[in-house]
Amino acid sequence: MKPINKLVQQEGAIQDRAIFWDEDIYQKEMEEIFARCWLFLTHESIIPDDGDYQATTMGEDSVVVARQKDGSIKAFVNSCTHRGNAVCFSDGGNAKAFTCPYHGWVFGMDGSLVDVPLEEQAYHNEIDKSALHLKKVRVESYKGFVFGTFDEEAPSLKDYLGGMAWYMDSFMDAPGGCELIGPPMKSILDCNWKNPTENFVGDGYHVGWAHASALEIAGGPLAVAKGNAVYDAETSGLQVTVPEGHGFGVIWEAAAALHAGPVYEAYQKWLDERSPLIREKMDEHREKFYRGHWDAAIFPNCSFLYGTNTFKMWQPRGPHSIEVFTWTLVEKEMPEELKQMIHTDNMLTFGTAGILESDDGENMEQCTQSNRGYSTRQGTLYIGMGQGHEYLDPELPGLVSKGWVNEAPQRGMYRRWAEFMEGKPWSELSTTAQLEQKK
Amino acid sequence: MSTNNQQAGQSVDQSTHFEVERFLVQEARALDEERFHDWLENMLTKDISYQLPTQEVRYRRDKKVLGNSQTTYLYNDNFGMLSMRVARLDTGIVWAEDPRVRNRRIISNIDAQWADVDGEIEVRSAFILFRSRMQRDQATHYGIRMDRLRKEEGQWKLASRVITLDQRVVLDKNIHCFF
Repeated sequence: MKPINKLVQQEGAIQDRAIFWDEDIYQKEMEEIFARCWLFLTHESIIPDDGDYQATTMGEDSVVVARQKDGSIKAFVNSCTHRGNAVCFSDGGNAKAFTCPYHGWVFGMDGSLVDVPLEEQAYHNEIDKSALHLKKVRVESYKGFVFGTFDEEAPSLKDYLGGMAWYMDSFMDAPGGCELIGPPMKSILDCNWKNPTENFVGDGYHVGWAHASALEIAGGPLAVAKGNAVYDAETSGLQVTVPEGHGFGVIWEAAAALHAGPVYEAYQKWLDERSPLIREKMDEHREKFYRGHWDAAIFPNCSFLYGTNTFKMWQPRGPHSIEVFTWTLVEKEMPEELKQMIHTDNMLTFGTAGILESDDGENMEQCTQSNRGYSTRQGTLYIGMGQGHEYLDPELPGLVSKGWVNEAPQRGMYRRWAEFMEGKPWSELSTTAQLEQKK
Repeated sequence: MSTNNQQAGQSVDQSTHFEVERFLVQEARALDEERFHDWLENMLTKDISYQLPTQEVRYRRDKKVLGNSQTTYLYNDNFGMLSMRVARLDTGIVWAEDPRVRNRRIISNIDAQWADVDGEIEVRSAFILFRSRMQRDQATHYGIRMDRLRKEEGQWKLASRVITLDQRVVLDKNIHCFF
């Protein structure tokens, strides 16, 4: 393995192909990134009541996130502290406790060990149950989106999101907030987890080409992008990368543009009615972002399209495989009928059977699988589009680039990846706050 | 009005069963052979409902609906949406279908009963769909389909289909194929 600090060069523009293939690099990612970063777990709206829970994974660690009696949310590792068996085998639901099917140890919804069979007769009442708590996950929420980290040293979730939080407020902090509709679809892709994250964080470039067939028949206003026929770098949108590694691209006035017919009309009406409230609550910038369509990613493996309203986790399953979890993102105060229309449309476009999703899947897999070849893998990959044209905007956090076709957010993601992989402590990782001081 | 031999819930007679079986086999063949317009125009009713809900792994005793989460449908299509999917395949620029995916459908365990609407039939069938792509890409999907058939102008047509895929995690990169 090359030295870690040589794997990503030229400010993120050049990556060693080995980072998409090598097992030892992948294991290092599990340690330096997935055991440290804040990872999306669920949304508060999915587990509203005492005892509601969802099972998910953080990296490859199986975890359960559960609503507590006091209304708080806790998460713990789904592995019995006796012999390691899983204690929860479902996707989610409502429970009072989890009982390990091996020897019958019972854990409360907070992860504490509450009952042990034969405690008196076989353990002589000498077992210290308090020391045998399921491994705890640190949990915080941002506007209802619940994240967990294994790192007690990690900054707050809000600081981890950095400048991205300010942008995401455009919809996450809309009056009433957001919710996710599930249960999530789950499917697999034989690709490295970074391929889809980089696709969502800023790859506007592929839209007109990879999705040409879907754009041709979908009929929404975004169809003009087919075959890159219409693109104006000056006025079409922006791309943003923040030092925390998150980023997005926005197409102005296009939030509803991938929907067609009655869904487009109903959603556009909603946006027109609601965007003055965003301006009132926040500012004109956020109103503009609220009305735009975003491709976005929260480092390392959470992605979403605001407007199309697909919300995804790319769960790593080895260096060449992921599980894709897909929910639908909606505003809580939307009429129920509009929520369901958007939910159905999300499945039609970015579901497992979606007419856009299937274009991406094939590309993701081949981008990873080509690195199987030893000689191929010795090379590098290049994302230098627009490099040097990023700028600081006095009114917008992070680094901004003109147009929604660019590769600045991908470079930002790999810059961040390299910072983590070098094992830097949190105090040495770059932040939006530092960037702000340069203005 | 149901006649005596067409009571709701009662198995269809032998000659009707033969017609149902021929319909399902011919439909599977049309899809295998990518005759999607034949399928749309000759085998589906215009008011078709075509659904594929996600499979959820839940404890038997736990029926609670979580939050706003009722069901997520991978397919929740009407005739227009199915036509749109076929139109996309017609564009010739669906990169994931060129070279083509070889699809092979096996339909079995056909169980047909008269439905509660006069002349309509409810059919339960098991399926296996083998998908082969490129050199050695392989995916296998299996489950059951609950269909409703209706006769229009002397031909059986599919009026609704609910597909149950047994896998929770769909072990495929996409399922933009018809079941």
